[in-house]
Formats: sequence, C-alpha cells, structure tokens
Amino acid sequence: MAKKKMTGAQAVMESLLHAGTEVIFGYPGGAIMPIYDALYDYKDKIRHILVRHEQGAAHAAEGFARATGKVGVCMATSGPGATNLVTGVTDAIMDSVPLVCITGQVSSSVIGTDAFQEADVLGIMTPITKWCHQATKAAEIPEVIAKAFHIASSGRPGPVVVDITKDAQFAMSEYETFSFEMDESTRSKLPKPLDLDKIKKAAELLNSAKHPYILIGHGILISKAEKELKELVEKGGFPFASTIHGLSALPSDHPLYVGMLGMHGNYGSNRLTNWADVILAVGMRFDDRVTGRVKDYAPSAKIIHIDIDIAELNKIIKSEVSIHGDAKEALKKLIALINKNTHKEWIEHFREADKKENEKVGELELYPKGGEIRMAEVIRMVAEKTKGKAIIVADVGQHQMTAARYSKFKDSNSFISSGGLGTMGFALPAAVGAKLGKMEKQVIAVIGDGSFQMNIQELGTISQEKLPVKIIILNNEFLGMVRQWQSLFFAKRYSFVDLQNPDFVAVAKGFYIDGEKVEQRENLSKALDRMIKSEGPYLLEVKVLKEENVFPMVPTGASVDEIRLE
Amino acid sequence: MKYTLTIFTENKPGVLYRIADVFLRRKINVESLTVSEIESKGISRFTVVQNMEEEMVKKVIKQLNKIIEVVRVYASTDEELYFNEIALIKVGYKTKGDIATIYNLILEERGNRVVFVNDISVIIRSYGTEKEIQKLVEKLKPFGIKDVAISGRTAVLIHDTPSIEVSTD
Repeated sequence: MAKKKMTGAQAVMESLLHAGTEVIFGYPGGAIMPIYDALYDYKDKIRHILVRHEQGAAHAAEGFARATGKVGVCMATSGPGATNLVTGVTDAIMDSVPLVCITGQVSSSVIGTDAFQEADVLGIMTPITKWCHQATKAAEIPEVIAKAFHIASSGRPGPVVVDITKDAQFAMSEYETFSFEMDESTRSKLPKPLDLDKIKKAAELLNSAKHPYILIGHGILISKAEKELKELVEKGGFPFASTIHGLSALPSDHPLYVGMLGMHGNYGSNRLTNWADVILAVGMRFDDRVTGRVKDYAPSAKIIHIDIDIAELNKIIKSEVSIHGDAKEALKKLIALINKNTHKEWIEHFREADKKENEKVGELELYPKGGEIRMAEVIRMVAEKTKGKAIIVADVGQHQMTAARYSKFKDSNSFISSGGLGTMGFALPAAVGAKLGKMEKQVIAVIGDGSFQMNIQELGTISQEKLPVKIIILNNEFLGMVRQWQSLFFAKRYSFVDLQNPDFVAVAKGFYIDGEKVEQRENLSKALDRMIKSEGPYLLEVKVLKEENVFPMVPTGASVDEIRLE
Repeated sequence: MKYTLTIFTENKPGVLYRIADVFLRRKINVESLTVSEIESKGISRFTVVQNMEEEMVKKVIKQLNKIIEVVRVYASTDEELYFNEIALIKVGYKTKGDIATIYNLILEERGNRVVFVNDISVIIRSYGTEKEIQKLVEKLKPFGIKDVAISGRTAVLIHDTPSIEVSTD
C-alpha cells in the first residue's frame, strides 16, 4: 500500500474511520483543536455530536455502545475536558461498556510543567480504564487507536483513553496502514479454548438438579447469546432471572422468565435463589446488590459460573464449576448436553411468589384506585403503548428500579441504565447516544427530578441535533431513593433530600423542546400518547406521589430470602 | 503467609502504576519490589513480596493478569523458590583491631565481602535471604552501622511450575 502523508490529527480521523466510527460525541478546546480542524474535512463521513458537557459525551458514547454493541467514541480537550469525562469512563468500566475516548493533551515540550489546561490524564485515567496511552508522536497514532478499539471491544469490554499531545496532532508523518498487529500482551489476553470437561460437569449438574436456576447478566447481551439462552432454558425447562443489565435479553413475557435479581428485584427471583440446588450464572458478576449477605447466598446450591473475565470467577461466590469463556460459545456447547425437562413444580413456586408480590405491591402501584399518580403505572402505560418495543434509558434512583421492574421488553438491548456505578445524570446523555445508535427505535428516557438536573444541559444537544428523544420526568420533588433509606433506616430524618425544582416544561421550552406536565391520572394516558406521537424531542413531566417506597427490597446486609414486600 | 508474585510485563510506562493500583485497591502492603528487564528485550520482570491469605493471592494475580501489558503472572511460597537479596552495609570503625574483627565476622558466611575501606568506614556487600542479611546486620550493629541498603528480593522457581497461577479456581 502506498504511503500517505498527513498530520497526526488527520491520522486520528483516518484511524477512526478505519475502526468503523459513525458518531463521535465530543467537545472541542485548545489542546484538541488540530483534531477538530481535521474533523472539519470528515463531516460527511463521521457525525459529530456537540454535547454541552464532556460528562455528557462519555454517557452518550455509552448509550450508543449499549444500544448497538459497537464501540462508543468520545472526544475532549485536555485538562477540564478530560477530567469531565472521568465519571462516564468509570461508569463504563463498571458496566463493561466499550469506549474509546480521545483527549487532547498539551504539547509534549510542556508536559509536567503545570501548563495551561494540563491535567495528568494517564494518572487520573489509569485506575478507571482497561487501557490508556499517551501518544506524543504522530507516527504512533494509527497503531494506538487501532489497538484502543481492539482492547475496548474484546474480551470483557471496557473504556480506553488515548491522550494525544498537541504537537503530535500537528506533526506530519507518513502512514502505510491504519490497523495494528497483536503483540505478545494483547495475544495473551485472547480467551483460551473452552474446557469441555467442565461443560460436561455443568450439564450433569443441571440435568440432575431438582431446582435448577439460571441467572443471566450483561454478558448474554454483550456476547449476543440471546438465541442460545432461549434454547437452553426451553430445552431444560429452566427458570431464569436477570440482573439489571441482563434485562431484555429475552422478551419479558417469556414463560420461563421469573424476574429481576437484586435489592429491588422481584420477590420470587430473589427469595428462591436460596431454594435452588443448582445455579448456572452466565455473564454476571454476583454484585453485592444481587447477592445480599454473601454468607447466606444460595446455601443449598452448587454453582456453575460462566464468565469471559476469569477474575470474576470465584471472586465473590465460590463456584463448583467455573468456566472461563464467551457466553455464546459456552451455552452452545452446553445446550447439546442438556436433557429435556420442564420443572413444572419448581416453576410454580416462582409463580406463587409472583402472586404474592403482585397482591402486596404490583397491583397497588400498577393499577392504583385513587390518589396521586404512581411511578409504576406510568411505566406500565409506557410499556403498553410502545408494546415493549422502545429502548428505555433509565437514570438512577427509585424511578430506575420502577422502570427496571415494570418495563416490558420485546427486543434485546432495550434497557440501558447505570448499574455498577449508579451514576445520577446518566440517562439524558445516554438516551442521546442510544437514539443515534438506533434511529429506528423509540428511545424513552425515564428520569427522576434529581437525576435530570445533573445533566440537564444535554437538552441543548438534543435540541440542536433535533433528536426525537422522549423524556419522562417522574417528579416527586425528592431525592426519592435516599429519602426511602432515610425513612427506613435513619428514623425518617430527611436530611437534604427535598428539592425545589424549576418548571421543567418551561426549561424544555427554553431549549425549544416541546413538553407538558401531567398531575392528574385521567390526563396521563393522553399525554403519553402525545409524547409518543410527537415528531421531535418531547419532555413529559409527571407529578407522582411524593413519598413512596420501592418494594420488594432486600435491605443492605440482609440475605436474599429476607426480602421485604413492605 | 508470605507470597512472592512474579509478573512479566511489557516494559512500558504506566505498568508499575497499574500494578500498584491493584495492591492499593485491595489494601495490600508491599514488603519488597524488584523490577528489571529480563534477557528478552522489552519484557520486565517484577518480583513482589507480600503478606496475604492464599484466597487473596489467587484473586490478586487474576486482577494483575487483566492489565493489558501483563504477559504472565504467578505466585509462589518461599518453599518453591530460590531467592536472594543484596545488601550494602556501611560500618564505622575506630581501630585496626575493629577491622580485623569485622573481616572475621563477615567471613563466617559465604557471600559476604568487604568492597570498600577508608579511614573511618568499611562497606560490606552481602547477599542471601532476608533472614541471613538481617543476622549479619545484627552482628555488625556494635561497630556502629552508618547505612544499610537492601535490595528487593530476586527469585526463581526451583521447579518449573508455580503452585499458584491464573486459573478459574
């Protein structure tokens, strides 16, 4: 191939194109100006979304990655630009989201001298990235960016930061290729072949189980193992539950689906964990929100754990059979060895638990007879009206748990939220990214009044890009989840959880975004219809019951079978 | 329990930081750390001595293995290793008689040697295990130790396979 002569900044563009980048979420500034100058000539090939704050760029890139399974790309300048990415990058490493973040850096001649807008980006990013690298020479850019994409998307995905000094962006160099060849270390990270003896052992355990139980996580979606999961559970007649990030892997109405795990998951799915005699956990990491008190987690179960990240095996929960590998590959092998079964009686226990949960909780909040609007009924109506085909992007708090519990999904990758880090302010920018990744889908952000105000500025991005993102604010004028804890565990001492909110509809209108506010139940359905039918972005503020608690709940430090319904 | 972690990495900036960060997050103190490039170019060998439970060692080496630049990592107990440290000990003296005593004293063990003498001090080079070096230091204390520099541990496996490697366990 003929050598091409260009600047480092142009090489960044060529490298991004080579890696298949369609959208960049970013914000320009001094130390990244050469790259933005190069971007000017690539406007017809790569779409750039000008966010209003770099945190928004990182979350938008996450939303894009989560909706599409592709690598999300964001760009920021040195110093404050880079440090503003930090929360989003941390969120991405917690939730295994592939990101490539390109940050400008001051010129190599002044690095380390406290130059204007200089921050120790490698120092800051190292603990929160899968990999990071500072490029100080134009010639290294293509290889570094190609390697960044490889690392971000392979194995257990995660964020990668490439910091590029301004002089490297300006410098001319000659380039032959925009790919990279794996070196010893990247090769050493490739997964080893599956241990088939362990697959066999897993199948034997599952086949002989009386109460087999399958727990699925984000790994199913990342490895695109939905079909294999369906085959496995249907063949073995296994009930399966999902972590918050495994939601939508299979349709919510799948007859073997028994609910969400975790602190605010379902009653049966949590409680019956401790009845199971064999648990197969795939692509999930036994987060403390899922396990409750570890000592009393699944005491009667032999555990089979499949994960692409070997460090997750036996990290929290001791497993009988630990399988290191890709979920899709492992399930494929496993299906063949599974005996047909139905486990009818066992599944009946879950249905009885559902009944109980529905009586104590669901019925009352999904179909309230009177009083103020409940969060749950809003989510129920959204699910009904969109027939479960929308992508729900939830922020963090009570509304998130309600959205996770009551949304109904038809398609995979339809629930996007910040699980591991629990980042308030996630949903609005993440919805921007999700929409850009899946223009054909309805994208609905469900946000609390507190969370909304953490990245409210991204309304500007939505407006400028004319992105038809639908925003539902479930407004209880409280930091509801904190208030719930204060109510349950801190003697109702409501310490700084009261919010005096702006007029959200007026704020939206200030950004030229249409919207309305609903306070009465009889107006809710029509308002949701208007929102869904609207062509552009739309903000619907729903005034909900001020003090309501999310149940079921596994209190911190309690065992999953101590889950409370009230 | 004392474990020696051997970590082979690409010799690139930032690797030491990533390794240290794994220890920091788990609040594991480092007893000794030695790093140098091995015979094959571009690869560094880290030898880290730490006190922790076996359970934790297994988890820590898996975390270390996630670092992109890490090529291989394993852990071993003292029984599996031949290991040494090097010490440089500067001792003051007053009389010619002192010097003679010091010479006799250090020659009791192989591996000790006087490498420098002037009017007021001698410098002794010693190698051995941490215990052996500590013993020598104790013996020399009465003469007045001016400075002691002890390297971190270097170690090789006695047999070819370490007992604790990255695994699904």
